Amino acid sequence: MVDMLFTAVTMLIMIPVALFAGILYVFLFRKLSARFQWRVGPVVSMYKDLAPLLGASRILQPLYDILKLFGKDTPVPDISRKTIFIASPYLAFICAFLAIFFIPFPGVPLLSTMEESLVIASYLLIGAVMFTILGAASSGSPWGAIGARRDIEIFLIYELGFVVALFSVGLVAGSLSLWEIATRPGLPMLILNPFAAVLLFLVIIGKLAIKPLDMAEAEAEIVAGPFTEYGGKYLGLFQLAKAFLFYDMVALFIALFLAPTLNSILWLPVYIIAVVVILFFITVMQVLHPRFQIAKAMSWYGRWVLVFGVLTAMMVLVLRFYWVV
Amino acid sequence: MGIMDKARIYSPWLYHLHCGGCNGCDIETLAALDPRWDPERFGIQLVASPRHADILIATGCVPKQFIPMVKRVYEQVPEPKVVVAIGGCACGGSLFYNEDPDNYAILGSPDLLIPVDVYVPGCAPKPEAIINGIVQGILKLAAKKKAAAPTQKS
Repeated sequence: MVDMLFTAVTMLIMIPVALFAGILYVFLFRKLSARFQWRVGPVVSMYKDLAPLLGASRILQPLYDILKLFGKDTPVPDISRKTIFIASPYLAFICAFLAIFFIPFPGVPLLSTMEESLVIASYLLIGAVMFTILGAASSGSPWGAIGARRDIEIFLIYELGFVVALFSVGLVAGSLSLWEIATRPGLPMLILNPFAAVLLFLVIIGKLAIKPLDMAEAEAEIVAGPFTEYGGKYLGLFQLAKAFLFYDMVALFIALFLAPTLNSILWLPVYIIAVVVILFFITVMQVLHPRFQIAKAMSWYGRWVLVFGVLTAMMVLVLRFYWVV
Repeated sequence: MGIMDKARIYSPWLYHLHCGGCNGCDIETLAALDPRWDPERFGIQLVASPRHADILIATGCVPKQFIPMVKRVYEQVPEPKVVVAIGGCACGGSLFYNEDPDNYAILGSPDLLIPVDVYVPGCAPKPEAIINGIVQGILKLAAKKKAAAPTQKS
């Protein structure tokens, strides 16, 4: 009973924490990519003479974007399948939002102590992307349809890598509970099976539509891809889902590969450093690459996911049978 | 000022509507959004779909074939919205506009079709002038909110 109450309270506290973490991750991503491009990016401390009009800081810039979208008119195209079109942003948001409860935070197990939390989290993270595709396909816009098609093509590849990466870790740790995996004693999985970490990183850049693989959203090329027909609060929901997805993926990476860091709240500084390092690598991917053509992306992405998938599987065999963990 | 009003000022997204003309103003508009001036410091972003936009940037004079597209793009921008006309052609049709005899191909400035809030004259205006125009647009956007609210309901 006390355990359940504790879980309920931590879940309530986790909602704003995850929201602000997601917002800050998106901000950091934007700021870092701006610095890489010799820009300033969203200003941390506003110029003194502009501060009364433009606010003291823009660290919460992604939050302002979302709030603004919620305050706008929301167009729904006549030719769209209205039920699916309206339901998908909510469902995408709910999937990304619920996933935060199944991924542990330092010292806070939430629902990740459940036996199959790894499987539940993976399904929710699939859902977050899948409903984006569904909404785009139902929008009735050719650009949305092209975006959805491109999204599905990448989706098919990275879900394969996602499953391999997740279950390779589960197999070696001998558990499907994320909390057990995340608090496992011994060497972190990053050292035991670095191929799986690279594989999950490749999955993250696909799932978050980071630069070489952003042809689904391909701004200006196919208008805005899946989001072409979305405006106002539905777009706000997608942006919110994206912020939560950012948090989910980074938290999942840490939970799977940096094993003891989630044991207690005292590991929080290490957790923050790990987050910054992962976001740094994501940003490097974003700024180093141009957008791939869809066919080239398929061959490039498919090749690397396959190579690292096979290496991961071999490593799992070695670890499982010849290594006493 | 509530947080929603603040958010409206803090995150104006632009949609660039090229009505027609010589492309000079488009080059300058994109120059105004480049790393040298970097309006993303203040949350100003160029978006790809008019449905995401708050501020519509119209450049050039409107050819007659393009009239329905201009109207449609304007209607696709959700309320509250502001239109900023950039360049001499977008402000008054410039040398392409002719009342009598009528120019057979060119209608004139976009303000004959859609309500324009801010005019930025020049051929082509400097990026500083364009940024100033966008700032005027943001101020209008902030003021517009309360006036636009009742019409939305009806």
